[in-house]
Amino acid sequence: MLKYILRRILQMIPVFIGVTILLFILKAPGILPGDPIRMITGEKEISPVLYQTLIEENGLDKPLVQQYFIYLGKLTHGDLGKSYQKDRPVTELFANTYPNTIKLAFAAIVVEILIGVGAGIISAIKQYSFWDVLVTLSTSILVSVPVFWLGMVLQVIFGIEMKKWTGGAFFLPISGMSGDQFPAWVHLILPAVTLASVSTAYAARIMRSQLLEVMGQDYIRTATAKGLRHRSVVFKHALKNALIPVVTFIGLDLGAMMSGAILTETIFNWPGVGLEIYLAIGQRDWPIVIGGVIIVVFAVMIINLLVDISYAFLDPRIRYGGAAE
Amino acid sequence: METLLSVKDLKTYFTTRDGIVKAVDGVSFDLHPSETLGVVGESGSGKSVTAMSIMRLIQGPQGKIEAGSITFRDQDVLAMDEEEVRHLRGDRIAMIFQDPMTSLNPVFRVGDQIAESLIIHKGMNKKESFARAIELLELVGIPKPESRAKDYPHQFSGGMRQRAMIAMALACDPDILIADEPTTALDVTIQAQILELMMELQRRTGSAIIMITHDLGVVADMADRVLVMYAGRPVEFGTADEVFYKPQHPYTWGLLDSLPRHDIDEKGNLCPIQGQPPSLINVPTGCAFNPRCPYAKDRCRTEVPQIRDIEGKHGAACHFAGDVDFFRGCAGVTS
Ligand SMILES: Nc1ncnc2c1ncn2[C@@H]1O[C@H](COP(=O)(O)OP(=O)(O)OP(=O)(O)O)[C@@H](O)[C@H]1O
Ligand code: SF4
Ligand SMILES: [Mg+2]
Repeated sequence: MLKYILRRILQMIPVFIGVTILLFILKAPGILPGDPIRMITGEKEISPVLYQTLIEENGLDKPLVQQYFIYLGKLTHGDLGKSYQKDRPVTELFANTYPNTIKLAFAAIVVEILIGVGAGIISAIKQYSFWDVLVTLSTSILVSVPVFWLGMVLQVIFGIEMKKWTGGAFFLPISGMSGDQFPAWVHLILPAVTLASVSTAYAARIMRSQLLEVMGQDYIRTATAKGLRHRSVVFKHALKNALIPVVTFIGLDLGAMMSGAILTETIFNWPGVGLEIYLAIGQRDWPIVIGGVIIVVFAVMIINLLVDISYAFLDPRIRYGGAAE
Repeated sequence: METLLSVKDLKTYFTTRDGIVKAVDGVSFDLHPSETLGVVGESGSGKSVTAMSIMRLIQGPQGKIEAGSITFRDQDVLAMDEEEVRHLRGDRIAMIFQDPMTSLNPVFRVGDQIAESLIIHKGMNKKESFARAIELLELVGIPKPESRAKDYPHQFSGGMRQRAMIAMALACDPDILIADEPTTALDVTIQAQILELMMELQRRTGSAIIMITHDLGVVADMADRVLVMYAGRPVEFGTADEVFYKPQHPYTWGLLDSLPRHDIDEKGNLCPIQGQPPSLINVPTGCAFNPRCPYAKDRCRTEVPQIRDIEGKHGAACHFAGDVDFFRGCAGVTS
């Protein structure tokens, strides 16, 4: 197992090199239009002398290949450079925004587990009941609802209309991470629900179909024949088997969310990495783009590794590193 | 003799899109303590459904026990509520299934799966029950049971898994062990070992066994009494000796003929069974066996044969059972 983990970590190195090369190619002149220095100064005319100073200050005068190696050298010291626009170290910027992304991602995962997995289980054990039909129908609608549309509808319903109906007594915050009116976690509700929506629907469907399939297996009949309560048969014997694919799905989703959620972050004005990188691309603020992508890729790989490890705990047939017979 | 289990006129039907499947249609038998009853029949003759009915494992709403009675030690099994049935299952009546590869839960340790019955029925704690599970694994002949108990099913071979299933079934010292084709999925050498093990354990524990099989050879060595089923109905029953040496029903003759020859006296008119088992949705009228029976007469196509008693120790559901002259007269038909 330890060997496996080590191997996976070593495999990350070539991925990093590949990703950084790709990003530096984007930076090459003529690939993407727009001059980062002109973006800093905006419309204002600047003197050629100042322009030259800014170019040199940001290391843009050197050949791209040399820039790349300078960057790698700094990277080994954990230095991701400085933003052109904000004049602050990239690491410092992401130290502020990354926790927001993580908070949002975990809140979304909680929604997926509580609502998605929960609805899937209910739907399966009460197959063909009212609840099952409700879950099956609503999930098939939910998977095709565009996220930005759902986000805005939620804002209108819970933020604006609700406030009107209740005379301001009950409503949910629709923008930002904190305010005087609510504790911080309340600000998470709508963005988390929006971000989780599609995956929650998928999680419910996977959970339902897996549980139904497992309930038909021979070992479930064995468990019943042993004299176990129906409850134990479902929640002990069936659920642990049925959860394996669900955990994989949710784990992959968590990994994907580590790269930020541009749509959700934009709609709810949530200062996460998705939004940060997205804005930086528009401004050709290469240190933020490159540094941000590196952090994101790293986080995604770490989460995927953790998911694979937890997977082995759920399913004894999987033991990494070829230790099992 | 004391009767442990009594099944009377059991009818278990399934509602399917194509119609009602009469999987079990009027099966009766008694089981006495410590005896072995062999239940024999071709695939689809309703053997498993009979066993599942006794365990109340028939899944509604498609499957339903329509009629009959099942009595275990004077208790009406069909009238039990879910909780009472639970105390029967695994504790008083245990079951071993056909396919050991799929009958164990892949995500739990083998020892824990055996220990589970002891926890629910005997009130043991985790430690006691696991220690007992190790003893049981040793009893069924698993080498190094302490470490094997901590293995997962995928680390066991097929024969070992069936041994583990037997250990699980015997954990609570049940009165009845129902073995539904316990060796069909195993290769021949392992089959013999498993059967030997079951007989050995029966001598020690005194459980009664219902041995379900489509292979008469299996019950020949093990069973005290034999019930032969065809299309969900009993066609012949009696002591193993009676059924093997003096079979009365043409279907049983056919089954015996597909056996590697024992020292059965040559009747000269044994014949292998031609054709396919009937549809259980449209069971042939009269004797269900008539389309395949070389001796069928008009009467067989209209009138359901009742069980005919032969010398008080044997029964066969054939209009002509016991009528040696009738079958002699037909001998030419088969050759
Ligand atoms: N859940 C079910 N729904 C519909 N039909 C069923 C169901 N379970 C069993 N049957 C039918 O009942 C009949 C008897 O099946 P059963 O499993 O008892 O046969 P068997 O004698 O055990 O045969 P085998 O040797 O193949 O195990 C079969 O025709 C089968 O198709
Ligand atoms: S009743 Fe008729 S058809 Fe049925 S087994 Fe006897 S002879 Fe054959
Ligand atoms: Mg069967």
